[in-house]
Amino acid sequence: MSAPILACRGLSKRFGGVLALDGLDLEVQPGSVLGLIGPNGSGKTTFFNVLTGLFPADAGESRFAGEPITRLRPQAVYRAGIARTFQRSRLCLPLSIFENLMVGNHQRLEHGLWFNLARRKALARQIADSFEAARALLRIFDPPLADRMQEPAGRIPMIDRRRVEVCRALISRPRLLLLDEPSAGMTHDETVRLMDDILLVQRELGDLTIVLIEHEMSVIERVTARCVVLNYGRKIAEGTYAEVSQDAAVRQAYLGVE
Amino acid sequence: MPAEVIAQYAMNGAMLGMMYALVAVGFTLFFGVLDVIQFSHGDVVAAGAFAGLAAWTLLTSAGVTSPGLLLLAVIGSAALVTAALGALVARFIVLPVKSAPQLNVLLVTLMGGTVLRECIRLFYPGGSQPKLFPALLPATGWSFGTFLLRFDNVILLVSGALLIAATHLLITRTRLGLAIRAVAQDEETARTMGIDFRKVVLVTFALGSVLAAFAGVMDGLYYNEVFFGMGLLLGVIGFAAAVLGGLGNLYGAIVGGFLFAALQTIGAVALPFASAYKDVFAFGVVIILMAIRPTGLIGERASERV
Amino acid sequence: MRSRAAAVLLAALATAFAWLLLRAESQGAIAALIALAVLAGFALLRTRLLDAFTRAALRDERLAQWLAFAAVAVLALLLPEDDFSLLLLTRVLIVIVACLGLNVQLGYAGVVNFAGASFFGVGGYTAAVLSRATGLPHLLLLLAGGVTAALAGTVLLLPILRTRGHYAALITIAFALLFRTFLEVNDSLGGPQGLKLPELRIGPIRFNDPVAAGPLEGSFYLKYVVLALLVLAFFFAVVQRLERSWIGLALDAVRIDETAAATFGLDIARWKIAAFVIGNFVIGVAGALSAFMIGFIAPNNYSFAESLILVSILLLGGVGNPWGLSLAAAIVILLPEKLQIIQEYRFLMFASMVVLILLFRPAGLVPRPMRRLPGTPR
Repeated sequence: MSAPILACRGLSKRFGGVLALDGLDLEVQPGSVLGLIGPNGSGKTTFFNVLTGLFPADAGESRFAGEPITRLRPQAVYRAGIARTFQRSRLCLPLSIFENLMVGNHQRLEHGLWFNLARRKALARQIADSFEAARALLRIFDPPLADRMQEPAGRIPMIDRRRVEVCRALISRPRLLLLDEPSAGMTHDETVRLMDDILLVQRELGDLTIVLIEHEMSVIERVTARCVVLNYGRKIAEGTYAEVSQDAAVRQAYLGVE
Repeated sequence: MPAEVIAQYAMNGAMLGMMYALVAVGFTLFFGVLDVIQFSHGDVVAAGAFAGLAAWTLLTSAGVTSPGLLLLAVIGSAALVTAALGALVARFIVLPVKSAPQLNVLLVTLMGGTVLRECIRLFYPGGSQPKLFPALLPATGWSFGTFLLRFDNVILLVSGALLIAATHLLITRTRLGLAIRAVAQDEETARTMGIDFRKVVLVTFALGSVLAAFAGVMDGLYYNEVFFGMGLLLGVIGFAAAVLGGLGNLYGAIVGGFLFAALQTIGAVALPFASAYKDVFAFGVVIILMAIRPTGLIGERASERV
Repeated sequence: MRSRAAAVLLAALATAFAWLLLRAESQGAIAALIALAVLAGFALLRTRLLDAFTRAALRDERLAQWLAFAAVAVLALLLPEDDFSLLLLTRVLIVIVACLGLNVQLGYAGVVNFAGASFFGVGGYTAAVLSRATGLPHLLLLLAGGVTAALAGTVLLLPILRTRGHYAALITIAFALLFRTFLEVNDSLGGPQGLKLPELRIGPIRFNDPVAAGPLEGSFYLKYVVLALLVLAFFFAVVQRLERSWIGLALDAVRIDETAAATFGLDIARWKIAAFVIGNFVIGVAGALSAFMIGFIAPNNYSFAESLILVSILLLGGVGNPWGLSLAAAIVILLPEKLQIIQEYRFLMFASMVVLILLFRPAGLVPRPMRRLPGTPR
């Protein structure tokens, strides 16, 4: 077992009277897919939000590839190589699909005033290269979508928007990908397809680790190597899907006291 | 500084603070219920003052002389007009754009306020000039040395305080208040619980605007004059006060109102060469405070879910 | 080829209409012309011709830009002695420049600025004070106007960047309300009477001397039209390049969804400041130019109501669209000047129009089209 790429210890976050994260300990092995499950309100999305710096942790620490990232701003977390999708789709609907993807590619693009205003040929080249890269990525998920890159994101159906959102997170070649219920609103087959495409990209990129929040257990069972189960902001079980689904505490959390 | 002068400044500050607090409570109610900044609120204050003036003009020209009756008519008409305006603004301007980007609501209410302001200027007889507001309260008072504690000021202060207290009671002790607080917390849940969202919003806007009516009449009685642009600065100050205290927070709005008045008074004392500087000073401090504590001194109601 | 001819024809018609409107003296004739334009406008909107026309203009942008430039130049040349019309024309051009700056702030970055006229005034006062007190070249003073406006904006905006949009609104409204009073109580800045500016001189060109160049004779305002047109063309190109770049994309992302933008590395404060500074610079230059042209400067031109007019132009024309705001600027400036009866009512009229637009057609008269990045397929 090599060193974990992500290690969180004692992470806590309180919102007014609610303790959303209660001393969470979590580790993720590099290159693996970790499932994060638990009943509604157990703190899964809060964990993502705290990890990516949207809300500062009240206590505890997180380390990514050995470097502390505990109270970094979201921009710094992104630069460290962590990208995410949102539970509630957050695309810029008036912008085109290509533009939305490029929002995710921010750190690899040149934003200097002189470059953008005066060196137009170089800018056009960078844009064209990015266009090809975006098209190639989208083609993995849905070839027709790759041909509609200049259409506004508001005009495509929800499942395509979810795909675009995943691509937006992937385009910057992150080292850690946080997926927050990517399959919400999809049929079973669409979900299978989406996860297969994500795994394909993972294999191509070579050093991508994934943490997946999901409610559909068949997906968790199929794609994850290990699972962490949360309840009331704490980890209550950890192991393979087979192990945690048999765990008494987990059953109680989901189904209630017998 | 002699005690009488301090007392005079304190009185001025208290009067201003009460006016600002009344306007600020309106802003905070609107924000609480709909997450919107109703920028036409200041101009609704002006409309209230002018409605009161109109009532007084009509009644006196009809021969009514009893000051009590006139006062009642002034306040009554101001309250009616502002309540109606508030509800109209809510129904036709704010609610339709509720789901648009927040920027649009800000813009549409600001422009709506301009429409109101210009209507007063253009259509009220002699509206472009400052107009004399009648003195309807007893002008005498108790003397302490050179300081005159005027009855009318005391009455205004006390009634303003009562009005705010009544609002507080309404919000916290009545079923309507409960509905308002429910909608402020979570619109969807409130709706599923059977609360008539639209009605609550309209009532809240009407309520906040009635407070504005009182602020407008108070402004007129205190300065003995009104003019069509009086709502602009008052509205901005009221908004600043609500922000200072924390948007959505009733106590914050009151604290913010008096705090702003205190800042203005300090500014007037420290920089006596031009009255404009007291406003610059007060706003300067507000900006710095907002930079230090963006969610207000007491705390804004968090409204965004990630 | 046919659409090109149609475009030239349309430009010629528009120029002719503008010429007629500017030359018309009787209120009846003006009212008739405006009624005609309104009807034509409705017809364009209803039959979707407006959208078709905009799409055609987008396809051949170069032509559209050159036609517009030529139309203004021809219009000016057709009015060589008409001081008032030339002054109006220049005012429209200068207001368009200012609104381009406001557009970068409000339309692209979503940063609210209700003190546009105040920053315009900062530019003007900079030009006035410096031209009276120093011998610096006037061209430099135009730039200086932009720089001071940009600095003033930064000081104002920095403290409240961590907060939300309505806080920026609050600060800029307060600034707009207090700016005028501040000017009026400061005698070093001329007080309520204002300041006079010396004649604008750029190189050997003296801007208050009438034009006498060979066969061309005319009012000195012709020089201002040319200058304003050049300044407008420059800033139009700059703003267009800005929008069609990674910077434009970053600004849009910040405006549309700050949280998502931050999650992907965009420094929200940095982009908002950048937009505000750039926008204010443009507004300040326009203000300085305007001050030189009018020849003097006074506080009551820079009121909150004037700031609201600028914002109205943006909203009516189509937020984020430089062509839309140009059209709206022409309407908002020319209409009250020609049709005297609505002068008194212009604030009311335009505010009501904005309310209606925001309720029923929030994208504005000429909605902003999709961004066309260089290097992407057409």
